[in-house]
Amino acid sequence: MSKVTLFCLLCSYSLESFSQALAANYPQMSKDKSQAAKPMFGKYLEIPVKGRVIGEDGSGLPGVSVVVKGTTIGTVTDVDGNYSLNVPDENSVLSFSFIGYLTEEVTVGSQTTIDINLALDVTSLSEVVVTGYQTQNRRSITGAVSTVAAKDLVAIPQGNVEQQLQGRVAGVTVITSGAPGAASQVRVRGFGSFTGNQPLYIIDGVPYNGAANISWLNSNDIETTTILKDAATASVYGSRAAAGVIVYTTKKGKAGKFNVTYDGSYGTQVPGKSYDILNPTEQMEATRQAFVNSGTSTEDFDHFQYGQNGDWQLPDYILVGDLYGVRQSDITGTPRPGYETAAAKFNTPVNYDFSKGGIYQIYGANKSGTDWFDELTNPAPIQNHTLGLSGGSETARYYVGLGHYNQQGIVKHSYFNRTSLRANTEFNIKNRVRIGENMTFVFRKDPGFNNLNEGSALSHAYRMNPLIPVYDVTGTGYAGTFAKGFNNPRNPIAIQDRNKDNSANALTLFGNVYGEVDILKGLTFRSSFGGYMNYFQGQGITQREYENSENIGTVQIFESFANFNGWTFTNTLNFTKEFGIHEINALGGIESIHDGFGRQVNASGVSPFTISLPYRSVNTTQSSGRGAFSSGAPGTRLYSLFVKADYTLNRKYLLSATVRRDGSSAFGPEERFGIFPAVSAGWMLSEESFLQNVAFVDMFKIRAGWGRMGNQTNVGFENQFNLYTTSPTTASYDIGGTNSTLAEGLLISSLANPAGRWETNETVNAGFDATLLNGTLDVNLDWYNKKTTDLLFRPELPAVVGVVGISPAVNIGSMKNSGIDLQIIKRGSIGELTYSADVIFQTYKNEITKIADNVPFFSNSIDGSGVGSSRIGSGFTRNQVGHSVSEFFGYEVEGLYQTPEEVNDPNHVQEGAGLGRFKYKDVNNDGKITPDDRTFFGNPNPDFTYGLTIKLGYKGFDFETSFYGVQGADIINYTRWFTDFYPGFPGAAMSNDALYNSWTPTNTGAKTPILENVSNFSTNKEANSYYMENGSYLRNRNLQIGYNLPAGIASKIGMERAKIYIQGTNLFTITKYKGLDPGVSGVDTNFGIDYGNYPVVRQFLVGLSLGL
Amino acid sequence: MKKFIKKGFLLLIPAVMLSVWSCKEEFLEQDPLGQLSDSDVQTKLGAEELVIGAYAMLDGVFNGNGPGQWSASGTNWVYGSVAGGDAHKGSNQGDQSDINPIERYEYNATNPYFNAKWQAVYQGVGRANAAIRAINGLDEEAISAADKKSLLAQAIFLRGHYHFEAKRMWNKIPYVDETVTYAEGNYNVPNTLPDAEIWAKIQADFQHAYDNLDGTLAAPYNQIGRVNKWAAGAYLGKVLLYQGKHGEAKAVFDQVIANGTDATGDKYKLAPQFHYNFNVAFENGAGYDGTESVFAIQASLAGGVYLDANYDLILNGPAGPGAPGCCGFFQPSFELANSYRVSPGGLPLTPAEYNGAQKLVTDFGIESNQAFTPDAGPLDPRLDWTVGRRGIPYLDYGINPGNSWVRDRSNAGPYASIKHIHYKGELGETAGGASWGEPINALNYNLIRFADVLLMAAECEMEAGDPNVALGYVNQIRLRASNPDGFVKTLDGSAPAANYVISQYAAGSFADKTFGVNAIRFERKLELAMEGHRFFDLVRWGIAGEVLNAYIAVENQYINTLDGASFDEPTDNYYPIPQTQIDLQNGALEQNR
Repeated sequence: MSKVTLFCLLCSYSLESFSQALAANYPQMSKDKSQAAKPMFGKYLEIPVKGRVIGEDGSGLPGVSVVVKGTTIGTVTDVDGNYSLNVPDENSVLSFSFIGYLTEEVTVGSQTTIDINLALDVTSLSEVVVTGYQTQNRRSITGAVSTVAAKDLVAIPQGNVEQQLQGRVAGVTVITSGAPGAASQVRVRGFGSFTGNQPLYIIDGVPYNGAANISWLNSNDIETTTILKDAATASVYGSRAAAGVIVYTTKKGKAGKFNVTYDGSYGTQVPGKSYDILNPTEQMEATRQAFVNSGTSTEDFDHFQYGQNGDWQLPDYILVGDLYGVRQSDITGTPRPGYETAAAKFNTPVNYDFSKGGIYQIYGANKSGTDWFDELTNPAPIQNHTLGLSGGSETARYYVGLGHYNQQGIVKHSYFNRTSLRANTEFNIKNRVRIGENMTFVFRKDPGFNNLNEGSALSHAYRMNPLIPVYDVTGTGYAGTFAKGFNNPRNPIAIQDRNKDNSANALTLFGNVYGEVDILKGLTFRSSFGGYMNYFQGQGITQREYENSENIGTVQIFESFANFNGWTFTNTLNFTKEFGIHEINALGGIESIHDGFGRQVNASGVSPFTISLPYRSVNTTQSSGRGAFSSGAPGTRLYSLFVKADYTLNRKYLLSATVRRDGSSAFGPEERFGIFPAVSAGWMLSEESFLQNVAFVDMFKIRAGWGRMGNQTNVGFENQFNLYTTSPTTASYDIGGTNSTLAEGLLISSLANPAGRWETNETVNAGFDATLLNGTLDVNLDWYNKKTTDLLFRPELPAVVGVVGISPAVNIGSMKNSGIDLQIIKRGSIGELTYSADVIFQTYKNEITKIADNVPFFSNSIDGSGVGSSRIGSGFTRNQVGHSVSEFFGYEVEGLYQTPEEVNDPNHVQEGAGLGRFKYKDVNNDGKITPDDRTFFGNPNPDFTYGLTIKLGYKGFDFETSFYGVQGADIINYTRWFTDFYPGFPGAAMSNDALYNSWTPTNTGAKTPILENVSNFSTNKEANSYYMENGSYLRNRNLQIGYNLPAGIASKIGMERAKIYIQGTNLFTITKYKGLDPGVSGVDTNFGIDYGNYPVVRQFLVGLSLGL
Repeated sequence: MKKFIKKGFLLLIPAVMLSVWSCKEEFLEQDPLGQLSDSDVQTKLGAEELVIGAYAMLDGVFNGNGPGQWSASGTNWVYGSVAGGDAHKGSNQGDQSDINPIERYEYNATNPYFNAKWQAVYQGVGRANAAIRAINGLDEEAISAADKKSLLAQAIFLRGHYHFEAKRMWNKIPYVDETVTYAEGNYNVPNTLPDAEIWAKIQADFQHAYDNLDGTLAAPYNQIGRVNKWAAGAYLGKVLLYQGKHGEAKAVFDQVIANGTDATGDKYKLAPQFHYNFNVAFENGAGYDGTESVFAIQASLAGGVYLDANYDLILNGPAGPGAPGCCGFFQPSFELANSYRVSPGGLPLTPAEYNGAQKLVTDFGIESNQAFTPDAGPLDPRLDWTVGRRGIPYLDYGINPGNSWVRDRSNAGPYASIKHIHYKGELGETAGGASWGEPINALNYNLIRFADVLLMAAECEMEAGDPNVALGYVNQIRLRASNPDGFVKTLDGSAPAANYVISQYAAGSFADKTFGVNAIRFERKLELAMEGHRFFDLVRWGIAGEVLNAYIAVENQYINTLDGASFDEPTDNYYPIPQTQIDLQNGALEQNR
């Protein structure tokens, strides 16, 4: 194997991929007898031999190579471990080899059926892991590393490869929404910082900033995925490794037969549950209750739609011209006072087209109720295809991948669409030199979705009153809150329709070229230059509206163009040597990086002559109102030196040390360089004599490490400077009194902190890896403790500094994270049934230990503004010393006021107290409720998360299912602020809880406060625990049943392998959470707040996987 | 040969490494892109643009997406007018509900509105100080002495203005001068100076501007939006008046009234018609002889830059079909509307009269599609330029339809604000284009207009001068208001839209000091209503408790919004210092209550 390792330094083989790799490497193993055997052995006896290869647990081993020794005749076993081939004669020796197993040799003799038991080779558990700048044997690793098999990485069709890590890797938390192509919140072992916690992605040796969306990467092109979780393994990436490193390598061609693979799936996604909203009649009843409970007397029961003076009923038309709440009897019978003109207005021609003159609309009343969520969503198709072509010779190898992924979202006009081409090649020049390149070229169409925002179409879907129809009486013009009495939500269908031609396209070129030279035996020099270019182009329109109460009055057309780039130049020397009982692997390198530089131009204009699609460009807007802006990012430069050495003594004692020195342009000259060391050690207990005879232990290794990593992703080099900028909106001023022109002004845009330096993260990791019960049970356990110091934080400056919202990052905070990652894999078979169960479990505890001097906490936003996007002033989260990031803070609801005595209790004085309103807990027991009584009442950080993947195989069938679970995470269901309280936006949609489960003198056990039109401290004005719900859930992520065509049948149709499968994803979710989806992300210091979350939905798919 | 290759490689590798090494120092040095550094702005142009940046904070808008829009408005529509009883927050209970407790005098130091206003004024101070530092750093070669003097005095004026805003909001404030910077680390300025010393510093800034600015500014600073000697004088007088230094204030006001001009030399005088002050066509004295504008926030609608077009007032237009939009905030109170009732002879009534039997007839409780006849009694003509009400033409939008333009009358009554609203005909020119409806416009807001100067001077004359002169000032204002050309007309323009009657006070009637003082105060209310002054006037007169508690009682007859509210004097005279700032300044700030 060592030859293969050297031969392809950046390749690695996981167990699953090995069989394919082997098949590709040795074309002579083809099952096609006529071709493989005949040309070389023209005349001989052909003895057919068949059999089955089983492992120690008795299950069939697929992918085992069966070769006639000394010849090129061979084959590989099928999924059940069966093989068959013809041997030349009775003296032939069959060699059975399989990675991780001891090779067996059998002389054929007179046998025609040869069944073989392969024994596990526990001393050379030789999975090769890409750990950064090198590949390492799994056995020699002393740090915390996880890998994901290529097959598992594509188990679920998803636009973004990072989503595939959910529930697959112990120690990685992924919170993702259902918005197509959306980036997820991926966190390796919790949080080490307030911002910049996204892991570093390394793709074929080229770094890619984890804050950027990685949706350009086609998961079908990926061969290996390695997650470096602790300092011992990640600190070779020094100042960028603190949040973990995810290393991807893409597929390489193998010498041998030309291979064609196709993997594809097609399916549909179905919207799930809708919001819990009252129907129109109930909505009217809720309004009546709010009036009654607010002391409005019946004669003052006036409503634009329902009627006046208490004469209420659902209208027949909510809008007729400028009349609201029109009843049929007003039109065709005797009109009520004020509706005398209704008949004439009803017969006036309707117009909703601005180009045809004034808007005049009639909206019918949808008395049965519009289900806005249902109207907004539809079953949507999803398809994914990848064609792979690979092959080559000993001197030239290639892999070409062509991929197309197209996911329509369940929300109208939301989608993600990616077409990718990958071309990886490698060439040998003489014996010692290899050159190669990895390159992908990707086109994405990704308009994005404004998720977790009260202005998104999904949020308006829970705010729109169901009495409003989607369309006006013409069936094509939109209806909306222009009909008074429904407040200001917008028609969400109109939002999506009007924006449907807005586009955001991206072109990504990512790759590297490299050369390798074997200088001496075991000494290899490698040079790689890689990088990326991202080009973005977007255009869109903000259309004029007519159906809303707050209409956009001006058409705006906007367009933008941007490019962002980076490059990395890496030179490494790698030395591997075994002598006697010593094994040494040493690495040294120099690296230069320039990351994230680019420019962008935005332009916009208003009032085009027409909004017709082909006409849309900034040039066609009104000539006087055009604006253009450009800006640029100079990026960050890094210059680094690093060395790493691994030493193994007697295959028992493992030692590893790493040092990296980084220089970064992000910091001033005095603080520019940082040194990041790590050491770790392992002890292979199973090699010791006292465990040698313990039968059930195949391998047992304990390991521990310490190291230091850095983080600089949350600071730009501007931090060193005082900078000034112009700003038309906040620095310019019409000093000439012209009303139309602005004199240029300047303001301070950045304050300098020349002393800024790296955040430092020290990690201690200890754990063990065990393989037990004849290789059928793997257990990996890690405990870690991460301490971040010199945390870069922008403490809000007092306003007297004179610069609002701007503060330099200073190294002042500190944070602790500790936790446990556990993975257990059990494999085996029962008769012909093979199975494996893979369990992961992880828990982290985050604690902020310091923010800044005299800053005990900061609220949800870190930019100093202190205000989140909720309509509750102080927001829901507080990041405070002694607590974890993003904990929920506010008043704890003790219950609702039940009696006048309680309301007037002099020992519990609360502003706005009233029957049925929130009664807050008097935390400091001073008899009155003040801001000092706010407390931490919840936490979006889970107690633990877990995943379970079960695979079964029976003859040609395989079955796979995976689960993902989150336990103990809280969610703020902010949608309740809109739907459970009348006065927020009176007339907007209300929930069932508001009407049926709210407090009344007879329903004193209610949790929801009294339904009333009062907005104060005791009703809907404060962040409190009422909005919090249990966000724990268990989700069936994937369920797949596949059938592999028997090799014989497959070959008859010209295939080497063929599999068809049906799949369902996200089939069920067990949760108490009442919102659409409990997977609620956000920014790190303010997450878990559901403003209207794009739900992850069920998919039903059929798929095909072919090899020829 | 093999050996040679080996050697060659061995040599090559260190060579590559060294070449990379050698350029690392420069490699790690980067310059900002598209931004200016300290040295770039240390020029005349830099200093001038920093001064413009300091002017740009007058509107209070310092952040496009965060706080500091309506909450920090330079017009003080919340802190001066809503809190002063001119108006209600308006709209419905839940929208911008942080204003509710301000309207109810339930101040909470954690209310984000207070913090936003504090941030806005100290951002203004900071920008003025940044300009002052840059100007002071310019030598003779860089800038002429005259230009330097003028620029510096403008910046110092602006610093005085922002501090004055803070002073009347919070009373105990830190005074921040140009020596305070982040780099020096001396920014934890306390607010513990004795009251007189804070006033002295603010006063000194205006005195400096008054002494060093010309009346007519010389080129290149001869722009109408710049502050000059007379704006500084008017403001200096105001600062003196707030300190009760009536004599000193009178002396300055006398100069301003006699000699005042704007920066282009246009004489201060009252516009011929009251409503010219609220019409973009007449701002900065355009369209008539002289100018009433003394110191204004110059609003502009320049090519889609809506944040400079009174974005802080965007919520404040009446909402509904045919209305200017957007959100129905800032609805005049019943009490204010009633105040415009006059006697048959055209003089103001007592509160008991105008809030009692003679209160204004309103459409409160009547739907737009139900019949309503507007009040036929005698009214001050300024009413319909101050309060939008049912049945009266609303600018050029047609007849105000009443309730269909009101978001939730049970929350704030039937009226609409009007002074800061643009004409429909301006759309596409000096108005329109923001994201919700079209309520933004380029109409200036006058921080000080000449009528205000006359009324402040009248107060000084009553206390330290001649009551007859005071009466003359008040009558000038009433005379202007009585110009029938300036009345709101019926739609066809044929007749006044209501029964407008207004007359001047009888000669000598201010000899009764109580009568005179009250008349001046009431005139201030009528003339400057909805312009952000009222609350601060009530506090400085020491009558906020009495007046505002009576106001609450009036409003409680109609709506529940102020139910249970009360004004506690003197505690509620000043807004609480934002808790955020107390926390951030770590003990340097003490709460003012």
